[in-house]
Amino acid sequence: MMQSPFEHERDEELGRVLREQLTGAAPEAFLHRMRSAVAAAPRATEWDVLADWARPRVMALAIAAGLLLWLGAWFEGTQAPVDPSLMVASLPTHAVVSAQPPAVDEIMAALRERP
Amino acid sequence: MKTPTVRTRDTAYLSTGQRPQRPEHSLRNSDVEDAELARAAARGDSDAFGRLIDRHGMAARRAARAILRDDDDADDAVQEGMLAAWRAIDRYDVARPFRPWLMRIVVNAALDARRRGRVRHAEPIAETLESPGLGPDRMAEASLLRTRIDAGLAELPERQRIALVLFDAEGWGHAEIAATLGVPEGTVRSYVFHARRAMRRALGTLAEGMK
Repeated sequence: MMQSPFEHERDEELGRVLREQLTGAAPEAFLHRMRSAVAAAPRATEWDVLADWARPRVMALAIAAGLLLWLGAWFEGTQAPVDPSLMVASLPTHAVVSAQPPAVDEIMAALRERP
Repeated sequence: MKTPTVRTRDTAYLSTGQRPQRPEHSLRNSDVEDAELARAAARGDSDAFGRLIDRHGMAARRAARAILRDDDDADDAVQEGMLAAWRAIDRYDVARPFRPWLMRIVVNAALDARRRGRVRHAEPIAETLESPGLGPDRMAEASLLRTRIDAGLAELPERQRIALVLFDAEGWGHAEIAATLGVPEGTVRSYVFHARRAMRRALGTLAEGMK
């Protein structure tokens, strides 16, 4: 074995021992198994890659959309129906946008229009 | 596609005493052949990828066995890595050496298998050191050496183990190992140094007896 570990030449003896230890049995059979596995595995097309990328995102979007729809429906269901007696007939536009307070006649007329 | 540069053996430095600067990502002839096969594989030629397996499969197996220390787990990890490489071959940059790219995938598959804990019970590695011609004493010595190597490897951190196997057993350069592990070359040198020291401690004088 090489005596100086600082020398960065290969340690041939250690390398040989490691190779023998780690090579394992039946190397030809092993390589054949690898080749067969690759030959049986179809290569992914660009569309497959895109589909793999898109599938989880489409699912996430669908789930989010469903959740939003459900939340919307739930929110509408919780809204209390408006009491018609609380509704106030609208004032004429000029009375609403005017800086001056509306005239009493206009208020009375709007109240009279109340359903 | 980039055209790979081929490094030819330059012996002029022997007379001048100055070692030539190696161009970055320079490729050897075998790297160029790998790149050609990888190009063909990227076009869907599984036979070309099969030839790449023939060229690098055993090194991948040894690295995986060094990480997982179980024959079947290692072979499964190599197969997983090879299939991943086959599916991703069109993403390989032919301007760079192929074997660190492949080895990185295989090593990651082995490390993933180890992390996921789906490894079988680690048993002493198969008896590949035994030779029919050895007498009982030599057989016993070989068996002891096997046990010590296994114990020595088990003591090493994974990256040191990989660096040691790729450097001493496979004859890789520091740069290729650095590319495989994603660390600087200096770190690889340190890994090899510490791994050798630990292995030497574990082996004691036995390895001398094997000569």
